[in-house]
Amino acid sequence: MLSRLFRPIKEGFFGVGRHAAMSLSSASAVTITLFIIGVFLVFTANVQSFTVNIEQSMEISVLIDYDHEQQEQIDAIGLTISEMDGVKAVNFSDKDQEFQYYIDSFEDEAEQAIFEPFREDNPMHHAYYVEVNDGDDLETIANQISKIEGVYEVNYGGESSVTLVNVINSVRNGGAILAAALSLLAVFLIQNTIKVTILARADEIAIMRNVGARNGFIRSPFLVEGVIIGILGAIIPILCMVFGYIYLYDALGGIVISNMFTLIPPHPFVLYLALILLGVGSVVGLIGSLLSVNKYLRWKR
Amino acid sequence: MIELTNVSKTYKNGVNALYNVNLTINQGEFVYIIGPTGSGKSTLIKLLDGEEIPSSGTVNVVGINVGKLRHSKVPLYRRNIGVVFQDYRLLPKKTVFENISYALEVINMRKDAIRHRVRRVMNLVSLDDKGNSFPSELSGGQQQRVAIARAIANRPKVLIADEPTGNLDPAKSDEIMALLEKINREEGTTILMVTHDLTLVNKHRKRTISLENGHIVADMEDGGYMQHAK
Repeated sequence: MLSRLFRPIKEGFFGVGRHAAMSLSSASAVTITLFIIGVFLVFTANVQSFTVNIEQSMEISVLIDYDHEQQEQIDAIGLTISEMDGVKAVNFSDKDQEFQYYIDSFEDEAEQAIFEPFREDNPMHHAYYVEVNDGDDLETIANQISKIEGVYEVNYGGESSVTLVNVINSVRNGGAILAAALSLLAVFLIQNTIKVTILARADEIAIMRNVGARNGFIRSPFLVEGVIIGILGAIIPILCMVFGYIYLYDALGGIVISNMFTLIPPHPFVLYLALILLGVGSVVGLIGSLLSVNKYLRWKR
Repeated sequence: MIELTNVSKTYKNGVNALYNVNLTINQGEFVYIIGPTGSGKSTLIKLLDGEEIPSSGTVNVVGINVGKLRHSKVPLYRRNIGVVFQDYRLLPKKTVFENISYALEVINMRKDAIRHRVRRVMNLVSLDDKGNSFPSELSGGQQQRVAIARAIANRPKVLIADEPTGNLDPAKSDEIMALLEKINREEGTTILMVTHDLTLVNKHRKRTISLENGHIVADMEDGGYMQHAK
């Protein structure tokens, strides 16, 4: 009983060994495509994480008019804002804190001292900082807030913020479409290579049927072979991606250009990456050989 | 054992290979099928092997209607018959031993029983020392004998041999004939042998069926080849 389970596995390994050249050519097709998929996975995953970072750091600053500085009025404005659709969080910052932020924004102590006299007669406004769920809603929510009574000024970074959100969205969507198209291409390429590999063995399959082997009996070692080829082909891309990404992350110090673009930390990201590549490799190898072997089983009656 | 009733075969490309053939072969018989190239011999074998479906009529072998088998059931039917092909059809990447044992593995025979039986048939075809050779390392006659050993390994009720002596010199042909007669005698296997070799047919006299242009033109119990109108 046990030998019936292990036979396809054993035969699959023998098959890879005895058709070493063909196995190698199939495996290298897997290698190339998995490499491309790996690069795109890293790229899109990081763009995705940039997007989340940027969208989270986008907020609307709401300055409150001098004639609405009573506590109830401030609270009422805060409540109105937090009840709006798409608003994630509302943080209050009073005029003393605002003043301190302003002073702290100068690095030179001499410059800071210039502003000290104004502390008693604070020119700053009380402020709310509003975080939104979706960067796309930034402009609409800002417009709604500006209509509330007692709001002196609303600032959301204007057109440039909206443009940035749009650019990021199209990069993300474009990346996803490109990655999907590449994966499809990969399946096609690998299936074709395996088909060519098995074409040389169409005779072999016909002979197996001639001596009375059932279709499933013939098929199973080929499927194991496909999975082995997929896994073999995944080794190089996995090593390149894992060590390449760790090296890249260290070399760049974890960021690209500015703090806004923070790379995903390598652990456990590279582990997921390796598992995905391994999974894609073996599944594509399996599907590729299944499609091919089924075709050649039907070649002769 | 083998019964063909009103069998005709027309290929998709319009070639007529067999016309209304009726034939009965009983258990334990040794039958030659002779005829020139294109007379329908190969088609007859393909019909018996289940590789082709008759256009009309029925092909009945060991009680199975071969033409009506589903694609997935064809291999199961083939376990009842052994076929020795003209081009041997050995698995090139398997050794002689593995080629023969494969036919037994597919019927789920036990490992030690397989080893025993493979040694037995290798001895029968005098290839005891070639177990670890690959087919490409053997001569034509040796490959032919491997093909015969594989065909009889699972003790089929019928053995069909397509030109088993086609590529061999007369001395080797006699060896193969002696081997087939031994199988016929000792294992009681029904043997259907397609051949061109008239000297052989005349030397080892058996029931001889002569095909020409898709018709059976002669069926002689006592054998011997009668020259038909040229």
